[in-house]
Amino acid sequence: MTGHPPALELVGAHAAYGDIEVLHGVDLRVPAGAVVALLGPNGAGKSTTMKVLNGQVPLTAGRLRLAGRDVTGISAVAAADLGVCTIPEGRGVFANLTVRENLLVSAGRRATLTQMEEAAYARFPRLGDRRNQLAGSMSGGEQQMLALSRALGTHPSVLLLDELSMGLAPMVVTEMYAVVAGLAAEGITVLLAEQFARIVLPFADTAVLMVNGRVVRTGAPADLEEALSTTYLGG
Amino acid sequence: MDTFLTYTALGLVVGAIYAIAASGLVLTYTTSGIFNFAHGAQAMIGAFTFYQARVVWELPTWLALVVVLGVLGPGMGWLLHTLIMRRLRDTEIVTRVVVTVAVLLGLVSLSQWVWNPQEGRVPPMLFGADSTVDLLGVTLRYHQVLCVVIAAAIAVALWWLFNRTRIGVLMRAAVDDPELLKLSGHDPDRISASAWMIGSTLAVLAGVLVTPVMGGTLEANALTLLVVDAFAAALFGRLRSIPLTFVGAVVLGLGSTYLVGYAPAEWTWVGNFQRALPMVVLFVVLLLLPHERLRGTATRSRERYQTPPLPRAALWAVACVIGLVAFGGLISEARVGTLLVGLSFAVIALSVVLLTGYAGELNLAPLGFAAVATLVAYHVGSDATAADPRLSLTGLVAGVAVAAITGALVALPALRLRGLYLALATLAFSGIVSAMLLRDTTPRTLFGHTFVIFPNGNILMPPLEVGPLDLADATTFLWVLSTLFATLGLGVVALRNSSYGRRLAAMKDSPAAAAMLGQRLMVLKLGVFALSTGIAGLGGIFMSMAVVSVSAETFGFTVSLSLVMLTVVCGIGYVSGALVAGLIAGAGITSLQLVLGDIALTHPEYRDTFDIVHHLLLVATALVGIGVANGPSGFLHDVFERQRGLARVPFVRWGGAAVQVALLLAAYAGLLGPALLLFVSVVLWSLLPAVATAWAPDRARPLPLELEGITTPNTLALRQRIDRELRIETEAGHARA
Ligand SMILES: Nc1ncnc2c1ncn2[C@@H]1O[C@H](COP(=O)(O)OP(=O)(O)OP(=O)(O)O)[C@@H](O)[C@H]1O
Ligand SMILES: [Mg+2]
Repeated sequence: MTGHPPALELVGAHAAYGDIEVLHGVDLRVPAGAVVALLGPNGAGKSTTMKVLNGQVPLTAGRLRLAGRDVTGISAVAAADLGVCTIPEGRGVFANLTVRENLLVSAGRRATLTQMEEAAYARFPRLGDRRNQLAGSMSGGEQQMLALSRALGTHPSVLLLDELSMGLAPMVVTEMYAVVAGLAAEGITVLLAEQFARIVLPFADTAVLMVNGRVVRTGAPADLEEALSTTYLGG
Repeated sequence: MDTFLTYTALGLVVGAIYAIAASGLVLTYTTSGIFNFAHGAQAMIGAFTFYQARVVWELPTWLALVVVLGVLGPGMGWLLHTLIMRRLRDTEIVTRVVVTVAVLLGLVSLSQWVWNPQEGRVPPMLFGADSTVDLLGVTLRYHQVLCVVIAAAIAVALWWLFNRTRIGVLMRAAVDDPELLKLSGHDPDRISASAWMIGSTLAVLAGVLVTPVMGGTLEANALTLLVVDAFAAALFGRLRSIPLTFVGAVVLGLGSTYLVGYAPAEWTWVGNFQRALPMVVLFVVLLLLPHERLRGTATRSRERYQTPPLPRAALWAVACVIGLVAFGGLISEARVGTLLVGLSFAVIALSVVLLTGYAGELNLAPLGFAAVATLVAYHVGSDATAADPRLSLTGLVAGVAVAAITGALVALPALRLRGLYLALATLAFSGIVSAMLLRDTTPRTLFGHTFVIFPNGNILMPPLEVGPLDLADATTFLWVLSTLFATLGLGVVALRNSSYGRRLAAMKDSPAAAAMLGQRLMVLKLGVFALSTGIAGLGGIFMSMAVVSVSAETFGFTVSLSLVMLTVVCGIGYVSGALVAGLIAGAGITSLQLVLGDIALTHPEYRDTFDIVHHLLLVATALVGIGVANGPSGFLHDVFERQRGLARVPFVRWGGAAVQVALLLAAYAGLLGPALLLFVSVVLWSLLPAVATAWAPDRARPLPLELEGITTPNTLALRQRIDRELRIETEAGHARA
């Protein structure tokens, strides 16, 4: 055990949508500076865990800690201010805003528009060509690039990525994960949820397997591969 | 040349007013996704408050302006957002429309309470009426010039706000995806609140400027409607573009002054046409709007309805007829008349249930179609010269047919429009009907026939006579009308349960998916629109017969809006919602006022108190509409949820029914009056679920369907019930049948 508290920590977390409980006591530690992969079949509660971590879904029981500070009950706005950056499932862009305007919004209080634009266009030149195009009219891959650009200029302390690969061509996925690896190398803590474990195994330091709203295994990515295939195949 | 310049200058001034009003509307729509029908009412409150501050309290002009623009405008916007609009996330358009309409009605009744409409108030011009300036030989007052200058300044400022400032971009982002905005560390609530504050201040500004330009005294309804005219200008820019909105405003302003100035004298209809101009323009603009893409992604909305299976609905239909006729036997003949008006409103409301509740399309002006049906029925089916005239069946059929055809015609070009745009098209249609038809009192010649469309602005509708059925008799009328409502209601439920109804529901949920499945949306929409306006027409003819003497006000657009609002409040997915809404709109409020009026006559010392109660009643109706933001499925939905538990405790349910019959018999025996009977019945049925819970606590509590089988044993019977409720035809189900 090092002296650093984990960047993110859930202890016995329960969460529900209305009457229906979805997380039944999740324990999760994301060490500072690590890349952790959250794996599991559809409906396991990966996205819900993400939403609990960034304050979108409140806990009904249990605790949430950010860098050792107990922030249970934090709002999404406050969590974002503390440097939790989320790229949500699906399209994480404002469809009726242009690329530039999207960057202006995601700059938040942590960066200026110029910084955001520089960082984004340097990494994804295609966005630079389309800076005045409506985000909703770009291809899925370009939209995902724009969504990921949010993390580039703002120097978040924690990056939450939910199904970055959804609906993207393998080449684009590789490109995206190269960016994520770059961010991780800068020391940003990353938690990523993926259906397809193989994509993230090369990057992740640790993998966590979730089934039915519970964490069932934690370990080195390679060790989990086998457990994973049995889960998916209904074992 | 001089007159041309004068007309142009005046047109520009009028256009400037429209522009200011419309830009506030566009601002709130782009920044909150809510089309604010109450914008005009806010302007009206601003105008009255300015008058109060400047003339009654005699504050200096600058201070009065600070009070109105600096305090009232932003304050009202902030209150509206915090108390009401914030709660409208994830609701369907009809809910949003109804809530802002309720705010409109509430503000109008509030203003009539505070500022007695009988007193005339002439608001002052800014800088006074005597300071004038000569421009190219046209004399204009400072106030008029100021309007144009302010409009131009607002145009520039809004353009700058939207395109050049961070807050403007954030405002648009807040409409797009508030959750995502939170993830970027911005609070969408605070951003929308500031948008509402600016929008409301623009409304108030328009209110202060408008009356001195248009002339006359301050009048709550006229001011509110004036901004409705500005809708047309806002639509020029598809509710988004500020520059196009200004173009629209100028077109409207110039159009109306040129029309007055240059139309030939023999065109007797020009006066009416000028009134209708904004609505005509609105309609035309809607037709020419570029195609809207079909919305593919399913939105999660909070409205939920359940349609009863046909046998249960039939049982309720019979109970409804018996109950209504039995109640009719208890009350005086004059009050039966009121009940009849309520029931005909219920038929009209039924058209709203079919169209909006089931098919998800909006018609904000069912009474416009009712007016058309009434006019046709009157001219075709009755002989005005007869001593004791009757309406013939031909007249009735013709009226309904024309209403249905008109509905289809209004919907036909508007078919590719959805939601709000279609709603505005119907509103425009009703505006045209009331300005052009219901005010047309001069003789016209058509196909060699000379007749007056709306003689003296008032027609006496004769009762229907078909064979042995003569509706001049109130009891017969009640029988016929309640049977008609029950039959139509049953038909509507049957329609919803049929494959046609499922197609309508599919179209409502996802037009793109429905189109992809090979459904012909055009035919579907056209059919349901015609059917629904036909029903509205039928209800309208019966309403006219029940009211007997009808005028333009009978079909006014506030009446339409209140009826639609009440239907949503009660539950727009339910036939019972139509019944209760119709009864409240057509009979409930009138009866309460009659009762209050009677008491006020016999006890003059309480007059003031009753006056307050009367106003409170009107404001409360609007407050109920605003409450829809919290329970968008309507209050009957909650009632049914609670009553559903009763089905598991039959003893209590049948006991309740027995007590109800006993109460009715007691009323016939003269032991209690009709008002008390109603009151006791309502209390009885609201207490029954509590009784059932006390009687059998574990059985009476309804379980959400999602939890069945998870917290309770998962049995075959349960699975069959779930299949039934979801209307899934399973093999097990077939085997049973
Ligand atoms: N807004 C919601 N309302 C109700 N239930 C929800 C909602 N969102 C998710 N659920 C339910 O919560 C459970 C977990 O969902 P979640 O989205 O967290 O799963 P996931 O692991 O991200 O799945 P996937 O891999 O398919 O994205 C599912 O059973 C889902 O049906
Ligand atoms: Mg997910």
